[in-house]
Amino acid sequence: MNAHTPTALRELSYAEAIREAMDLAMAADDRVILMGEDIGVYGGAFQVTGDLVHKYGTDRVMDTPISELGGAGVAVGAALTGLRPIFEFQFSDFAALAMEQIVNQAAKVRYMLGGAVSVPLVMRFPSGSGTGAAAQHSQSLEAWLGHVPGLKVVQPSTPEDVKGMLLAALEDPDPVMIFEHKILYKMKGHVPEGYYTTPIGKAAIRRAGKDVSIVATSIMVHKALAAAEQLAGEGIDAEVIDLRTVRPMDHETVLASVRKTGRLVCVYEGVKTLGVGAEISAMVAESDAFDFLDAPIVRLGGAECPVPYNPELEKAVVPQTPDIVEAVKNVVKGRI
Amino acid sequence: MPIEVIMPKVDMDMTSGKIAVWHVAEGEAVAKGDPLFDIETAKAAMEIEAPGDGVLHFAAPEGSEIAIGQPVAWLYAAGEKPVEPPQRPGGVGTSPAADQPVGPDDRQSAAPDPVPAADPEPAHEAGALADDPAAAETGEGFRATPRARSLARESGLDLRGLSGTGPRGRIQGEDVRSALQTTRTAPAPARFAAETGPLAVTRSKGGTGTPVVLIHGFASDAMSWAPIEGALKQRPLIRIDLPGHGKSPKLRIPSFRDLVKVLREAFDALSLETAHLVGHSLGGALALALADTRPKSVSTLTLIAPAGLGAEVNGAALLGIGNATRPESLGPWLRTLVADERLVTDSYVRLAMAARSDPNLRAAQLAMADMLFPDGVQAIDLRAALERVEMPTRVIWGRQDAIIPWRHALRAPGRVGLHLFDGIGHMPQMEASDEVGKIIRSNL
Repeated sequence: MNAHTPTALRELSYAEAIREAMDLAMAADDRVILMGEDIGVYGGAFQVTGDLVHKYGTDRVMDTPISELGGAGVAVGAALTGLRPIFEFQFSDFAALAMEQIVNQAAKVRYMLGGAVSVPLVMRFPSGSGTGAAAQHSQSLEAWLGHVPGLKVVQPSTPEDVKGMLLAALEDPDPVMIFEHKILYKMKGHVPEGYYTTPIGKAAIRRAGKDVSIVATSIMVHKALAAAEQLAGEGIDAEVIDLRTVRPMDHETVLASVRKTGRLVCVYEGVKTLGVGAEISAMVAESDAFDFLDAPIVRLGGAECPVPYNPELEKAVVPQTPDIVEAVKNVVKGRI
Repeated sequence: MPIEVIMPKVDMDMTSGKIAVWHVAEGEAVAKGDPLFDIETAKAAMEIEAPGDGVLHFAAPEGSEIAIGQPVAWLYAAGEKPVEPPQRPGGVGTSPAADQPVGPDDRQSAAPDPVPAADPEPAHEAGALADDPAAAETGEGFRATPRARSLARESGLDLRGLSGTGPRGRIQGEDVRSALQTTRTAPAPARFAAETGPLAVTRSKGGTGTPVVLIHGFASDAMSWAPIEGALKQRPLIRIDLPGHGKSPKLRIPSFRDLVKVLREAFDALSLETAHLVGHSLGGALALALADTRPKSVSTLTLIAPAGLGAEVNGAALLGIGNATRPESLGPWLRTLVADERLVTDSYVRLAMAARSDPNLRAAQLAMADMLFPDGVQAIDLRAALERVEMPTRVIWGRQDAIIPWRHALRAPGRVGLHLFDGIGHMPQMEASDEVGKIIRSNL
């Protein structure tokens, strides 16, 4: 806290905000339990769970064996039978091991049983590149799960949002998948005290502008904001939208922005082809906002290759601030 | 620079025409409008007039088959030295006529007085004036952003002809906004130098019995009847050019009533006991109005996609055709006239544009369109007239008509015969000429 300004806002890191949300929920509701590999005394692969095991005990903060499929299956069963599990993957890449439970069970059971039950399950996926963890620990796979009806998929980009969206996810009767960019865990930001929720399915305008709409997800929101500042110095007024939720996507916020600016740049870390930006682009092209487009839509996404281990190459395969600046200039100045 | 005389397209199906006879000998002078040569197509024979004043050179031999749009001769100004046939601008090799040109040697030998001296001026000039052949021949649409298109739609601006500042000439929103600024400050409606005089009337050779009087549509002319003239040749055919169209004077026409009056004067001047009346589109509305006021002189009435039976009309197409100053801007609108766009070939468009090259003609037609179809709406309602007329009446329409909705046909009283064609647009007399010819003939 900043002692010099009486109005200073409390700041927490993204990881601390998640922990605070879990703590609040567990204190308020005995049904909330945490499950995952090494989340107990070790505190989690990224130290998100921290010391919660000492406060709530091993019955509510459960270390699961090294079997994502088994752990996810137990979590789905727990949710079906009345608990509110929060299941942590060590890396979102390992979702591949648990796809049966996520896609065929969690997402489908309510439908298969005619609405008689639901799966109030929250899953957390540390994701993204930038940690030197190489090809099997650095992916951004939100589009995989975003393709599955029955799941909600969110990508909070700030400490405030990740707390509010985790609490909203716990209130949701259906499975909610939270993709947390690993680089964001240490990012600090204002986090309101106490219990609040941030709506799932609602995008946020992080910076208003009139010349171009940059729709970004997760860590790309911050790179887009940095790009927008730089562009402002060159007389280009960019609007930056934080999509926040991949499914269900907030169409109206994006469309209203495109109707205003006439130009769209999508920025996301997942592989460009068939990624989140492809969906945003297509959604805009299919909408009435099409008539307002005054330049081709541009997507900046991850390169079409595995994420490299070499740190320079690792940076090169995902969009960086200068890439966004360049793409926006091309769009606004009619170079493409 | 000599005037090029080309093989005109007088029939939608036509790909080439045969020079039947020259009315003017090589080296002889002609004046604009003089009969120059006759062509024969599969369906019709037609007299073609000289497009300008000059001395005829390099005329294609009689009996030769020339692809449409290709030169058949040149008219040289007095004193101009015909050396060799001028080069045609733009890719002749890509034109449909590439396989059927008249050999330059033939033309060279046909020239009466080839002067070996070199004055290559005409050829160079022709080259310099050439349109970008690539742009002319690809037939691609133009580049404009969705925003530019929607702004243009809202404001009624025709984007064709606007130059875009975006990549590859793409028209962007800003281009439309600045064009609208200019348009708004520009002097409004097209003014034209009004003329006076009777309407032009042309007659076919031959035919007996009650004549057939043909009234063409907006932005068309008497030539447009060629495709069905073969089917009707048993009767004398009389074609009337509307004011501001074809060879008629560009009269100032303040209202539809005045237009009917002018046409009635032309009809009365024919002094026919009775006539079969055929009208297309605007000509259909006029034929109906004429039949309504001259019931005893009209023995049968055939209305092809007539105006006057409903409010809807494709105002953008009418304005687009009226405004077009280049084949590139005319072509897309001409293609809206037909269901099968392939009928409107690039060479057809070039010829149609050549027929509309007089700015005063275009201005006269635009003024007429503004009066008849203000704000893209048919301001004329002849449904009551259609209820009143008692002579045998038929309405012919194409169900793919993109200019006037064919459903207007359903407003005709039960007594009127309806002929509706699938897969046919606004020009049944061209697109389904055989069928339409038979229908009219069965009425005669």
